Amino acid sequence: MSTDKWFVMGVDLGSTTAKAAVVDQDGVLCGTDVVQMGAVSREAVARAIEGAAAAARIPREVVRRTVSTGYGRRLVPGADRTFTEITCHARGAAALRPGVRLVIDIGGQDSKAIIVDDDGLVKRFAMNDRCASGTGRFFDVLARALEVDIDAVGDLALAGAEGLEVSTMCATFAETEVISLLAQGQDKADIAASVHRAVAARTLGLVAQVGRATPAVMTGGVAKNPAAIRCVSQALRHPIEVLDQPQIAGAYGAGLLARDEYLGARTALPARDAATETRMASRSPGGGQHCASCDGVLDGNHVHAGGPVMLDLQRSE
Amino acid sequence: MNRLSPELMATLRAAADDPVAYAQTWKTTHGGSVIGAFPMNFPPELVHAAGALPVLIQENRTPITEGRNLLAEFYCGYTRSVADQAALGQLDVFDAVVAADHCVQLLGAVDVIRWARPEKPVHFAQLTSAMDDAWTRPRVAGRIGELTTEIEAALGVSITSDTLTASIRMFNANRRLLREFYELRRSGRLRITASEMQVLVKSSMVMDIAEHTVALERLLDGIDPADEGQPDVVRLYLSGHFCHAPRPELLDVIEETGVIVVDDDLYTGYRYISTDVPETGDPFEALSSWYLERNLNAPCPTRVTTQVDWDRYLVDELTRSNANGVIVLMAKFCEPHMLYYPEIRKALEKNRTPALLIETEHEGNPVETLRTRVETFVERIRRQRMPALS
Amino acid sequence: MTVAQPRKDKAHRLSSTRVGGKLVADYWENIFTAKERGKHVVWYNGAALNPLFHAAGLEWCHGEAFAARLAAQHLEGPAQAAGAEYGYINELCSYARTHLGCAVLTHQNSNRSETGVVGLTDQQELASKLPAPDFFVNGYAGCSTGQQWDAMTYRVFDRALPLFNVSIPMLWGNKPDAGYMRGEEWIEVGKYVEGQLRELVDFLEYQTGRPFDWDALSESMSYIKRASELRLEGMELCRQAPTPATYWDWVASIAPINFLPGNQDLVDYFAGVKAEIEQRIADGVSAVENERYRVYFDGIMNWNKLGFLTRKFAEYDVAVVAGRYTHESFWQEPQLIDVDNPLLGMAQHYLLCPLNHGLKNLQELLLRRLDEYAIDGIAFHSTRTCRAMTNPQSMLARAAEAERGVKSFFFEGDVADASFYNDELFDSRLEAMLEAIDVQRMRSAV
Repeated sequence: MSTDKWFVMGVDLGSTTAKAAVVDQDGVLCGTDVVQMGAVSREAVARAIEGAAAAARIPREVVRRTVSTGYGRRLVPGADRTFTEITCHARGAAALRPGVRLVIDIGGQDSKAIIVDDDGLVKRFAMNDRCASGTGRFFDVLARALEVDIDAVGDLALAGAEGLEVSTMCATFAETEVISLLAQGQDKADIAASVHRAVAARTLGLVAQVGRATPAVMTGGVAKNPAAIRCVSQALRHPIEVLDQPQIAGAYGAGLLARDEYLGARTALPARDAATETRMASRSPGGGQHCASCDGVLDGNHVHAGGPVMLDLQRSE
Repeated sequence: MNRLSPELMATLRAAADDPVAYAQTWKTTHGGSVIGAFPMNFPPELVHAAGALPVLIQENRTPITEGRNLLAEFYCGYTRSVADQAALGQLDVFDAVVAADHCVQLLGAVDVIRWARPEKPVHFAQLTSAMDDAWTRPRVAGRIGELTTEIEAALGVSITSDTLTASIRMFNANRRLLREFYELRRSGRLRITASEMQVLVKSSMVMDIAEHTVALERLLDGIDPADEGQPDVVRLYLSGHFCHAPRPELLDVIEETGVIVVDDDLYTGYRYISTDVPETGDPFEALSSWYLERNLNAPCPTRVTTQVDWDRYLVDELTRSNANGVIVLMAKFCEPHMLYYPEIRKALEKNRTPALLIETEHEGNPVETLRTRVETFVERIRRQRMPALS
Repeated sequence: MTVAQPRKDKAHRLSSTRVGGKLVADYWENIFTAKERGKHVVWYNGAALNPLFHAAGLEWCHGEAFAARLAAQHLEGPAQAAGAEYGYINELCSYARTHLGCAVLTHQNSNRSETGVVGLTDQQELASKLPAPDFFVNGYAGCSTGQQWDAMTYRVFDRALPLFNVSIPMLWGNKPDAGYMRGEEWIEVGKYVEGQLRELVDFLEYQTGRPFDWDALSESMSYIKRASELRLEGMELCRQAPTPATYWDWVASIAPINFLPGNQDLVDYFAGVKAEIEQRIADGVSAVENERYRVYFDGIMNWNKLGFLTRKFAEYDVAVVAGRYTHESFWQEPQLIDVDNPLLGMAQHYLLCPLNHGLKNLQELLLRRLDEYAIDGIAFHSTRTCRAMTNPQSMLARAAEAERGVKSFFFEGDVADASFYNDELFDSRLEAMLEAIDVQRMRSAV
């Protein structure tokens, strides 16, 4: 273990939650935090960042690099660069479960199926983000219609039989159907089980686009739902492995990418092409590049030497 | 650094964006007839030889309203837009409408035109889609013959071999110029964005061909095609979209991720210009030859053949253009594309070419989600190209 | 006013159709073993080319028919999953998608590979039981996807097998004299397709290595002609009210007329159906317990929902008497067939596919049926993945209203994919149409 201890951070600002993860120089996850919110919220992400640092028992200032991801990735203050949540989920899941090949993320607003390689890099991916069916929204609709807590809907489904026919095409249609099934006197547990099966069927379709592979894991909030795990495992005819902390896979992956970046900058490898440099500079939130050798202007004449970067939580516009 | 003249591009863009307005102006200034044609295999030279303006009917940007009642939602954006335009009278500028393709959705849209405007001359010359059979060529020749008779009757003119040959030469010259732009881009001697390239090709489908050729020549005169150097950026190939143009905003989002589009097989792109009509021999026969040869040069999944394969063509083209990856642009509900897509995917995987599928629609293509997908795709390609980080 | 009855099955389906069901089941069981029995197998879709295959000594496998069978038995899942994994997107024609999924499974069986979502290729899975083809013949009218379909199956099988195309042009009607079975174009195009059938015969001789049996063709066509006549006579008997049989009975009879061999069994089957109908008329038995509305069904059949729709319409006292898919198809103009020289009549039938007409012809056909069967309302099945069928529907609905005052309703569904279907919406729309008919009747009674 290196005596030179340093830390980086990954921040995942999604559609319903803000998550942050602190990662050390060896890539070990040191602390995390998850903050629920109504919509993309800068306050929530600030709290998550503080929370993760606190959990890791480090002062925020020692974080040397931050990578942000998620739909709100460009709103994260102090982030040095962004990566898409697809890349980050893949990286995080591969670290949480070494050797994983297929990552399924059923999030609040979208679902993804990702095939990863040995290095945890994205090989192929497919997304459903135009339609609520097959996403966590489907379960929200179910919970509301059954008048149960979203956290309890999975256990309820485990107790039921999956035989009822529920539309897999549209979450709005499904809500009408659930209400109609209730009106017919169908058992709530059976309804819940059938909806879970419908979501698993949609997930199967998504996985079909990238090709089935094992080992497979689920990330994201829905991965904590035991019925979802069971139904998707059944649909895939292969057990989905359960991760300890599925929800922070994206933030953890972002943290690992921050570590890669930081190490890469230290050894002065050409980490990215000219186009990325330009793009990074134009998209970098909250301040420009910090470099010991210049005033931060990208002039293409030298490689920016990485040094400790003060994490500066300014509100950027 | 080379730039395409903004004034010339503005003229071309105006025609590309609003073909109906262009047609109306042309009618007023020239006092001639305008014939609306449908993609992909109708030979515009025939209409030109009759002294009329051939205009390839384009998708309109207007959200679909009336069209909703005429064709169901699950049709491609192009055909729904055509039905909508027909119902709203936006196709009235055309003195006649012609089609040569058998796409079932397109025929549905053309039947909407017949229903909405029963007096409008509409002719469907079904060019056989099975390309390899001995009886296909005579059939195609027969259809072209009938088409000729119909156009002559509708316009009250006669199309002679000489006028047709002259038209063929003009359209060939135009295609050659467009192919020059493609070669300049492919070889890195000219930076031209995907949406700019689309303007060049799409406007040629709409404008008076002589006028268009002059504009292209002037554009070329205005640039110095010395080697601009190959910037170290990811090079992408765009594949798909058989009938209508992908939205320029979509093309811009792709290139905003810091890549360059180096080549394509889009209809409003290389597919339209890939093949010239033979200039010797009987010009009417030459049109049949063109129809058959074009599919050998740039195979289209709407044609049935065992002689060539679109997937193999695509892999060869990737090598030619030195592309690092492919973005497959699929118009949602496009049946021939959905049918062939698995073969494309198989071939690209076997060739280890990264590929991304984007389904496009007439309305509501959310830019942010597109950006996410393209960024991920490009991130992946970049990491493959760069040395592994310790 | 219309009120939904409690769930008692008010549909009286014909029992004679079960004979056909058995014939069809035996047919498929038999063909699954074709390769073991050393037979040449042809895969095709669309046009009923089977009499030609029969005379060539082949065994034939109609892809769509098999996809329909899977869907009707609710066994389409594995095929569609295999298709999805291969890369077919679910907005594609679900007939094609299902059948191509079967092709993938059959091909995997031949290669003994196991990959993918479906997992171990289950030898018992019905979807994977199709015998491997020796070659493909494409003869598909009207639908561009149909015309490209076999070229894709050809690629699923690694481009290794021969493919023959019969190009069947659309009856578009460019010329002013064009109409249903008339006009200059009708005459010309019939000869064009007939010529290709002759080329097909040459191809079949080459593939099988044996001379084509023209006598066998004449024989099977004479049986088919007779069977078709009996079918039409049975349909004719449904013009009376209440109807002795419904559209659902004709749907159950599709498989026999579409691809079973032309022989005495086929004739006996339709003779049996007609006899049962005649008996019902004699006994005063109606197909729907309390027929109050007569409806025409326009759209391709939703095979997954056959039982559901049969019961549902009957619940509302609706007799679905006729439909485009059954009545404008399947050897429906037998007088065209000259059994001694059947090729022209066959070619003309392939052209008369219900998907192969322009709007004008379809309007003519629809109005004719509305009159013949005294139709009160039309159910338009807006078939999600079959655009060939849905093309003219909006305009047909308007024409029916304008020309005959006939009401209609639309419901969304699909031919083989149950996920494109919503039960709730169906009820409210059907009810709305029936109410409109009630109002219409009250007004005309005044």
